[in-house]
Order: sequence, then structure tokens, then C-alpha cells
Amino acid sequence: MNKIGLALKELYRAEEELADEYVKVGERLAAEHDVWYDCRRFADQCHLHAAAIRPFAARHEQDLDPPDDETVGQTTTAALRHKLSEVLGRRPESGLLLLRSLRQLYLQAQEVSFHWIVAGQLAQATRDHELLELVDELHRETLTQIKWLKTQVKQSSPQALVVGAGT
Amino acid sequence: MQMDGERIVDVWGARTPYEAGGEWPARVDELVLDEPERWVQSACVLCSNGCGLDIGVRGGRIVGVRGRAADRVNHGRLGPKGLYGWQANNSPDRLTRPLVRRDGELREASWDEAMEVVVARSRELLESMGPLSFGFYTSGQLFAEEYYAQAKVARAGLGTPHLDGNTRLCTATAEWALIESFGCDGDPGSYTDIDVCDTLFLVGHNVAETQTVLWMRMLDRLHGRDRPQLVVVDPRPTPAAREADVWLPIRSGTNVALLNAIQHELIVNGWLDLAFVEEHTVGFAALEKIVSAYPPERAADICGVSPQAIRDAARVLGTGERLVSTCLQGVYQSNQATAAAVQLNNVNLLRGMIGKPGCSVFQMNGQPTAENTRETGANGALPGYRNFENDAHVDDLAALWNVDPLTIPHWAPPTHALQIFRFAEEGSIRLLWITCTNPAVSLPELHRIRSILSQERLFVVVSDAFLTETAQLADVVLPAALWGEKQGTYTNADRTVHLSDKAVEPPGEARSDLDMFLDYAHRMGFTDRDGEPLLRFATPEEAFEEFKRVSAGRPCDYSGLTYEKLRGGSGIQWPCNAEFPDGCERLYVNHVFPSHAAYCESYGHDLISGAENEPDEYAAHDPGGRAFLKAAEYVPSPELPSDDYPFLLNTGRTVYHWHTRTKTARAPELERAAPEAWVELAPEDAERLGVADGDLVAVESARGKIEAPARLTGIRAGVVFVPFHYGYWDEPEGSEPNGSPHAANELTITRWDPVSKQPIYKTAAVRVQKVADGDGAAAVPAVASQERLG
Repeated sequence: MNKIGLALKELYRAEEELADEYVKVGERLAAEHDVWYDCRRFADQCHLHAAAIRPFAARHEQDLDPPDDETVGQTTTAALRHKLSEVLGRRPESGLLLLRSLRQLYLQAQEVSFHWIVAGQLAQATRDHELLELVDELHRETLTQIKWLKTQVKQSSPQALVVGAGT
Repeated sequence: MQMDGERIVDVWGARTPYEAGGEWPARVDELVLDEPERWVQSACVLCSNGCGLDIGVRGGRIVGVRGRAADRVNHGRLGPKGLYGWQANNSPDRLTRPLVRRDGELREASWDEAMEVVVARSRELLESMGPLSFGFYTSGQLFAEEYYAQAKVARAGLGTPHLDGNTRLCTATAEWALIESFGCDGDPGSYTDIDVCDTLFLVGHNVAETQTVLWMRMLDRLHGRDRPQLVVVDPRPTPAAREADVWLPIRSGTNVALLNAIQHELIVNGWLDLAFVEEHTVGFAALEKIVSAYPPERAADICGVSPQAIRDAARVLGTGERLVSTCLQGVYQSNQATAAAVQLNNVNLLRGMIGKPGCSVFQMNGQPTAENTRETGANGALPGYRNFENDAHVDDLAALWNVDPLTIPHWAPPTHALQIFRFAEEGSIRLLWITCTNPAVSLPELHRIRSILSQERLFVVVSDAFLTETAQLADVVLPAALWGEKQGTYTNADRTVHLSDKAVEPPGEARSDLDMFLDYAHRMGFTDRDGEPLLRFATPEEAFEEFKRVSAGRPCDYSGLTYEKLRGGSGIQWPCNAEFPDGCERLYVNHVFPSHAAYCESYGHDLISGAENEPDEYAAHDPGGRAFLKAAEYVPSPELPSDDYPFLLNTGRTVYHWHTRTKTARAPELERAAPEAWVELAPEDAERLGVADGDLVAVESARGKIEAPARLTGIRAGVVFVPFHYGYWDEPEGSEPNGSPHAANELTITRWDPVSKQPIYKTAAVRVQKVADGDGAAAVPAVASQERLG
């Protein structure tokens, strides 16, 4: 069993799951226009990350499927979710839904980041310059996703939780 | 005296050519309809140029205007809006009494009654939902003193982060591009840089129509003995494009790709000031890496222009010795707004052309007092360009205001306009006070904006001089005094501060917005920590004196200015303080930028996603006075043409109108010049669609549809242009389309730039169809950019 290949497979899986979550959140929160667009971009980014990992995993005996390219607004349930988000988006509780979605994304993005840290260590220990360069560039993008999520949480949590509190 | 309507046709007036280093000759433009008894000093409020003028008064009425020859901004000149627009003040349909909605109808009320309705709802909401249920959406037309009072009421009186200006639609990207590159807001240059430059680079800046007097200055250089080289980026054949040595009519939304290619060429050809880059900037290596992927061939594919044209432009920019670069809405309201505006800053930084005569970048403003919303904290920042993430800055402001620092919301940036409307949509904002602006015409996706403003649960207060589309949807309408009827200061795009004295009394019971905020604060009983009234001023001059103290020590330092000093001669550029008692012509002459961690206005953002940089990360790499060279990859627009919607929509202005025509349509010459909306099409597109000039066409996006006469011009094929000025107030129904929609924002997309949060108006996918034959030529203006072809 090639343990390096397994670690890269874990990273691949985490990126793909994060992409799925961005797609779901983006569609569910279509009334939050910035969330919709940014989730779409980040979902695409996660798929690109997954695709970039594949050849390295293959070198370590892991044959991974090509990542899917499902993105925000193009799933079979997109139209339904969009309609629902417009209806729910007219209710003050939509702020709570946003917070919950951001929490899920934040946790999964942290998981991805964890796996990038591991991949970076592996690259160094196996003297793999190419992998190291990849980790450097793509991990930074994941960290930017995390910063974006923090930015969103900071802006939206007071409005979601404080308005009308105690009444 | 000038003849009626003369300057509608001859927009820029007679040329007064001059050469580099010469003084721009004075030319006094004047329009009076009756002999004035006296002249009152002021400045124009119908674009961001800020031309000094005097208001002619006779019998208690404004009878005309005259440019001030002594003013550094305009040397006596005025544009058509300045010359004719003042007539709106005398319009018979001014609001003269407060209106309160009763049984579904807006009915006249006394000030006491109207303010008590507002205060009663405010108290009830404070009690039941708290300060975050209050939103303020303000203007780019009020005076600095008014914004300052408004910011204090919102931030420290109620304690809400939800205050933003419509300046978010026009100038937010200027603000953020300056912050991202230099650490702090503030346009570095001076209009006198036009007098000495040898190269002009205009990106998405239709200066000839948006800032006519600035264009007169450029035009006089272009027609002088040592004409500067001119490079223009614009998809439309604007008057500036027609004067250009190199014109790049790029596809809308591709500015970053183009500017990356230009930087690629500057680097490859060694057209750099490496010593400057080394000593005064950070980020060159990362920039070099990113732009290395944008050779002209790649950008040419993306932008739809030839690689040679990009090389020609880069050669002009790379070999000149004194470069002035400018941008406006073609960048700010387009895809990747801040990222693109920052690349323009990079061009000047790479060439070391900043802080020297004839060398600057101008991040232009859209509105006459936009700069003041930025300085006073009435939009996306705290007063005095303070950093909301820097506790020392917040403590400092709280001490000046004598309030608890936690009263001033600073857990996140002040809420931007479209987010304020989003909170109103979801129902967490329940009181929205709109001052002197018209979101029911000017915000994107109008059907949505109308439905938000019409909600039963949302209490809408509107102060305006006229019953606009927005005012018609309000619960309380407060009649406002206009320019000329109140006193105050405002600052233009090259930091020139003007005083505008009160020339006449407002009509009926109309009041200044400053008086409205004072009245509201008094009735609400807002106090500081010692129980003293929060607003410790009663007049504009007293408010100015307090703002001076708040600005002291910050880049926008007003502390050395007084009303008296601003009277008599020219406007004065800030900073004006002990070091610069007569104002300061140029910033960054010593190439030290306001980027120190302790001093900067923001720690900056990721230009693509808008993610905020971490404060400790910034401090760990403190640029310590160097400017940032920030790079960005090109990312395609959020909405691209498709089979269903094959055209790119571009929206914008005509020289004859301002914003939503609230004032300009009430000036007969301006209204006659451009009475109705139109749709600009390229002749080859029109031919395919079977459309002739003047035919009625429908333009439709996924969000809405408009109809207007077609006009065939030299616009780039595949692009459709619609002016955004036209709404519904002068039609039956008044606040919404009544059978024939023609507001451009029925079509636009709700998407904003991730950093500046400025809406992306200029990139939406639409389809165009012929509706009916035209009955001859449509009544549309004749400025070059809209000139008919064929």
C-alpha cells in the first residue's frame, strides 16, 4: 500500500467534497448575490485543484477519476433551489441559514488546508520539486478561500444574530 | 453673456491652446437670464470636476452662473450642465412641504408632524430590533458638513454600520484602488499635471462627456504646440477616442487582461524605473510572474483588439517622460473593477511616475461631493480615512466624539449599498433613510429594488428636492434645500476644497439635510458619554470646525482651512495644515506612501475574491511607506453573451444629463438636448437585426426588458449601449414602467466588485429585437460618441 498515494487521495476527496458544498451553498443562497458568484468560482477552483492532484496521485499508485465539473447554477436541482432561496431570502431567518452554511464550508476548507499541509511535507521529504511548487500555489488559494469565509462570517453574523435579539 | 443653447452644440467652447509648462489661459463662461444684483461664491455640483463658479442672484432668485477665473480647477470655464443646470432650483415642482403617507397616500404635513412620525418609528425599532435595523443610503451631492453629521448620527448616535452613499456606484473603486496600492485613499495628483504631461492614458474614462472642463484642459494641450501622446481605452468612439494616437476599443469586462499585457510589455522592453520600483514598492516579483502570462497576443484574443495596437499603446506609455493616467466608470463599473484600477496604478508605479509634475495616476470620482463621503465616513470607511480594523484608530475617533468605542460599529467594514438593500429585502433592516438619491432608477435590477422599497414592513424616509421615483415609494418625504440654498464645502477629484455660500432661501419649508439630521438627533436625544448632545454644532461652519479636528493628522487633513480662507480666490487642495498652510498640490512627492501598518486605512484584500488580509499578517510584512504592486489574473465577467443573449450591454452617461435627470431634465436646454433614452448599435449588428436608425427596439436581459429608439454609431460590434439616466417620474404612474420600460437598470445584473463593492453595471448579456419602424430621426443628442453613422 502506497501511503503517499493515499494521502493525496484524501486531499483529492476533500477538494471534491468542498466543491460539492460550494455548489450546494451557492444554489441554496442564491438571494445572497456575492455568495452565489463566489461559491461558483470556488467550486470551479476546487475541481481544478482536484484535477491537478491526479497525476501526482497516479505516480503513487492511486488512479483517481477525473473530477466532475458540476458548478453553481447548473445542477439538476439548481432551479428549484434558486426559487426556494428567493422565497426564504425574504425572511430574516435567511441570515441564520447563511451562517450555518458558512460554518460548514469553513470546516471543510480547513480540512482541505490540513491535507495541503501534509502534501507539502510529503513533497519535501520525497524531494519532489514539482509537487512542492503545486502545493505552494494551490494551498495559498485554499487559504484565500478560508480568508474569504472569515470575511463573510465577520460581516454577516451580527446582522443574523443581533437584530431583534431578545424579542 | 452667452446665447441660449449655444453650449449644447459647442459643448467644450472655443479652444485656448497652450504648451507644456504654460499656464492654462482663463476663459470665463457665463450664463445669466437676468442682470444679477450680486454674485455669491460657490462651485459646480454637476460632475466631479468641481469648477469654481459664482451664483448670480436677483430678487432672491438665482438668475445665472459665471465661472471663476481665479479658480485653479477651471480657470473660468463651465460645462453645459454647470451653465444650464441651475435652473432646476427655480423649478415650479420643487417640494416645499413634508409629506407623510396616510391611508396609502402621501399627504402634506408640518415638519413637526413628519419628524415625529420618523422619530416614533425609530424609537419603536430601537426598542424591538436594535440599531442594526436602521439603514441610511445617502448621496454624492450633499456637502461635507452634512455627510459628517450623518455619519455621526448613524455611527455614534444609533450605532449602525449600515450607512453608505450612492458614491458606492460611482467612486468606491477609486477609493479602494488607492487604498490597495498606496495604503490609503486620496488622489495623489493635481490637475496641473495635465499642464506639463507628455503622455495621457485614459482607460474607460469618457472625460469629454463626464468631466467636460477637464477635457477642455486636455484638449487645449492636445491642440497646443507640443501635443501630448494620447492612448484611449473605450469600446465606444468617444470624443477622446477620436483624438487618440492609439485607441483600443476593447470588449467590455477585459480591462485586467489588457493592462496585464501592457505591463508585460513595459517589463519585457525595460521601460521601467527599476530604482524606484526597488526602493518604493513591494510586490514586483509576484507581479512580474503573473503578467508574464499575458503577452499581447493572449490579451488581444481576450480583449478583441490587435496585438499590434497593444504594443503601440505600451510603447507610447513606456517611452513618454511625464505620464498622466486616469480611469473612470469603464473600469469602476466593469468586471474586476478594483483589480483593473490597481493595474493602472501599477503602470505609473513601474514607470516611477508619481508625485512629480506631470506624473500621476488619477482615480477619478463620479460625483461632485463623492470625495467627501469617503473622508467623513459616510460610506465604506470611518471618518478621516480611519481603519476600522485598527483599534487605535477607532479609540481615537471615539475619544474625539466622546463615546464608547464599542458604540461605533467596527466588527466589519461599514455595510455597502447593495448589502443594505439585501438586508432590507430579508427584513432585518426596517427603516431606510434615503437622502438625495434615487435608487429606484439608479440601482441594478430595478424590479427587485422597487419590490424592496414597496414592502409594507420597511419604513422609507426620503429627503429630496423633487418627488422622484424613489420619493413616490416613501412613507415620509422631507423637502430638501438644494445647492445655492445652503452653505457648505465639498472636494473634487484633485483634492480641491471649495466653499459654497448660501445664495438664496430654499423654497417654501424646504430645509438643508444638515438641519434635518440636527433635528433628528435632537429629537432622538443622542448624547455623548457625558450626557451632552452628540451633535455639538448648529451651523455648517461649526460642523466644518469639528470635522477639521477629526481629520487632523490624517492624510485628508483639513485643519488649516477655514471658511474665510476659502472665500475670495481659488479652491484649496488638502492636506491643509501647519506644514501646508496654503494646501498641497501633490501627494507622495518624497515617494513615501501612507502604507505603514499603524497609519494605513485598510490592510487590503485579495483582489479576486475580496477576502480581507489579516492584520497581523500585514504588520509582519509592514510595507513601511512603500506602495504595493498588486497583481491580478484576468477572470471573465460574471455574465457573458450566450445564444439566448448574444450582446454585451454597456450603460453610461450623456453629457447633458446627471444621474437620474432629477435636476437636468428641469433645465430646458439640457432636456431638449436629450429628452429620451436610446439604444446604440453598431451598423453591422443593426443590419443583421433588420434595424434602421430610429427604429424602436427592445433590449432584453434575463432580468428585464426596455424599449427605445435605435441609434447606429461607431460602437464596437456586439456591444449595445443604453444611457442610464431615464426613469419614470415624468410619466403616469411615476415610480415604475407604465407599459414602456426604458430605464437601463431594468436590465443590469446584481453583482458587485469583490473589493470595492461597486455594482458591475457595464457587463450584462442581452438580446435585441426590432419592435416597430421609426418615425424618422429619434430625438437624441449629437455628441461625437453618439454620432450617427451611415
